[in-house]
Amino acid sequence: MTMHAPPLDRLVPEYIKRFEPYIPSKPDDELKKLYGCTRLSRLNNNENPLGPPPAARDVIDGFPPPAASVYPSGDAYYLRYKLAEKFGLHPDQFLVGNGANEVITFVIKAFCQEGDNIITADKTFAVYEWVAEFSGFEARLVPLKDFGYDDAGMLQAVDERTKIIFVCNPNNPTGTYWSRERLLRFLDAVDGRQIVVLDEAYFEFVEKEDFPNGMALIESYPNLVVFRTFSKMYALAGLRIGYLAGSKEVVDVIRRTCVVYSVNSLAQQAALAALEDGEHVNRTRQLVREGREYLERELRRMGLFFVSGEGNYMMLKLPMSDTLAYRKLMARGVMIRSMTGFRFPNWIRITISYMEAMNAFIEALEAILSEMKSRGA
Amino acid sequence: MKKDTGKALSLSVWTDMGFLPLCTSFVENSALAFGLDANGATALTLAVEEIFSYLCRISGPDRGVTIRSSSRRYYNLVEISCPVHDFDMRLFNLTARVSAEDEASLEQMGLLIASRFVDRLNVTQGPDKGILLSLVKEKSYPKADQSITIQQKELSRFSLSRPQPELIKIITIAVNSLYPPSMFPKAFRYPGKVVDMVEGGEYEAIAATGPDGSVGGALFWRWVSDKTVECFGPYIFGQTRGSAIAEGLLEACIGAIAKSPALGLVSLLPTEELPREHFEDLGTLTLFDEKGGGTRLTAYFRQMHEDPGAYSWCHTELESFLRSQYARLAMPREIIFVKDQGETKNPFSVLSVDIERSANKATIRPVRSGNDMEKNLVGHLDLLRNESIRNLFFVMDLGIPWQTEFTHSLLQSGFSPRVVVPYGGEGDQVIFQLGA
Repeated sequence: MTMHAPPLDRLVPEYIKRFEPYIPSKPDDELKKLYGCTRLSRLNNNENPLGPPPAARDVIDGFPPPAASVYPSGDAYYLRYKLAEKFGLHPDQFLVGNGANEVITFVIKAFCQEGDNIITADKTFAVYEWVAEFSGFEARLVPLKDFGYDDAGMLQAVDERTKIIFVCNPNNPTGTYWSRERLLRFLDAVDGRQIVVLDEAYFEFVEKEDFPNGMALIESYPNLVVFRTFSKMYALAGLRIGYLAGSKEVVDVIRRTCVVYSVNSLAQQAALAALEDGEHVNRTRQLVREGREYLERELRRMGLFFVSGEGNYMMLKLPMSDTLAYRKLMARGVMIRSMTGFRFPNWIRITISYMEAMNAFIEALEAILSEMKSRGA
Repeated sequence: MKKDTGKALSLSVWTDMGFLPLCTSFVENSALAFGLDANGATALTLAVEEIFSYLCRISGPDRGVTIRSSSRRYYNLVEISCPVHDFDMRLFNLTARVSAEDEASLEQMGLLIASRFVDRLNVTQGPDKGILLSLVKEKSYPKADQSITIQQKELSRFSLSRPQPELIKIITIAVNSLYPPSMFPKAFRYPGKVVDMVEGGEYEAIAATGPDGSVGGALFWRWVSDKTVECFGPYIFGQTRGSAIAEGLLEACIGAIAKSPALGLVSLLPTEELPREHFEDLGTLTLFDEKGGGTRLTAYFRQMHEDPGAYSWCHTELESFLRSQYARLAMPREIIFVKDQGETKNPFSVLSVDIERSANKATIRPVRSGNDMEKNLVGHLDLLRNESIRNLFFVMDLGIPWQTEFTHSLLQSGFSPRVVVPYGGEGDQVIFQLGA
């Protein structure tokens, strides 16, 4: 007997009907087949090409298969203690999640109810807006100013139903950042009325002296919640692990929405080991510095406008559609991030990687631009 | 997205001619109540009279028929559904006759007669594999008064916002006086209609205005399918060449749909100011006017997402066109051939036709393939030609294997493939045009 299709029109909330699911890229092998390329330089996800720090690699290499049958620590017990020791906070001030995306969900679930809103920028990491929208809350998007977060504009957008303000520092994808002084001014203006989330996913890449350390501000600003991740600098993206930190009172509220056991044992152990390794950060910073210098030089030579700030990425504007450039670069074995989805049409974002990949990118870019010129487009 | 005004009425009856006066009275009075003028209401009523009689003739007695009449601001929509499980699918065809033996003239074809009274008629498969007929009758609006001129002023600074109704009217009048008709939709000849279309969600609009409120330009867009948005403009008033307004307007449109289900943004009536670097050239279509003159339209397309790659079903006779288009557009596609392996086919094919009399245009879409594909297609073409509809298109979805079976018949009938629209349907769509 065939059952009737469920009455989706009635079952699905309006805000879900409006929502467009995120479709991730196909696996590399499938993409290579479709685009007809034999190699693929992944410059789309801001992954660290050096891979995990050696200590984390050892953990991954030595992970005993029988341990896979045992549940992980439900709240990343040892990792939280290690983070507490590193940042001089209490273990209960940390929550570990299945990537930073999961902790974004925890925070929004913890503080928002029907009719509430969150505030963030219009051209930033998309997940704050996504999670708010598919949870039925309004995401108020304040336009960037000179490629950076507009503090005055964000404060102006606050109303009595604003629960959370998300600030990505440095901003992905523009690489701009708020200095310590500017952040403090903003936090003072908010005056504890809303939760301020400071997403520091790329914190470890920044070498600027005036760049603020959110962890050090939690004591003074108990409404501040700081996100960090092991996906970028520590190259554990495939294991999915990130965390948040805040005042005990705020974290206690967020913990109520937290899915326990969502972070696997291998991720917890590799993250713990990654924190021990100091040289990895320096090696990565060196690679990013060299790659950035090379790209800036080449893009200037080609007469292309770019925005190069902090983080292991930079953005450039093309004289063609970014989604077309994506396809043409893919056919040449280079995978970049097109920026239409970030509301930056005709811009692309490139992860700074090994010189070989940077060369491949520049070579492919020159080829597609010259092809475009020769077609008179 | 289209917004229903919330004003809708329904009537459920049976396929019994005794109900005809009730149906016609329902449609006429609801149309008048929704603001259609007397002539429009009469035309709609006559169309429904034809269709209801047709359904009574073809479907047997006591089938349920539901008539829904609703107001969509600038038009009235009447949807007639006949949800029967054993409906003869052939009757979808515009060329279907009451019976195979019936030698009555073309005048006997109810659906076709009905189409003459309305602005749009669409026949599709409805709920429970029944038939759903949608009839659109637009309201009457005064034409744009071209004696009114807009004050054109160079803007040193501008901001972008959704225009209010009065500004939409000013913009529409300016478009009519400053741009040739080939660069804007016919609806733009009527400013009040554009206001209603924007208010009803049919179109969206963005305008660039200066600090003193003077308008420097505007861009409109609308959803043409679940995955595709079409934009019109940008229309720029009094700005020097290279002004940032055109790109600002386009980027605002792209930003508005960037996180929506839209996979593609197309521009089929581009102005000179359209920033071409945001688009790809898909190919050209030709629109013929009543006098036989043709206007070539370049279809500009912008993909809204990174292309994850896809499969395209293909008939061997379409292969070279498809491969050349995919290579030119750098589209990652695996072509899979549909081959006849001697399997038993449906005896009869089914086509749906969307007639837009105001645009002198009909678009044919396959509903089901069958052994009579070529004959059925030719029948439809004869009929549409007799109706003096000059612009005939056939849309094939390469995501649906059996649709490619029409390829041979299309080519034999004089159609040629013109444009591939990536992800235009379940897969890519090929638009064929007759005699262009």
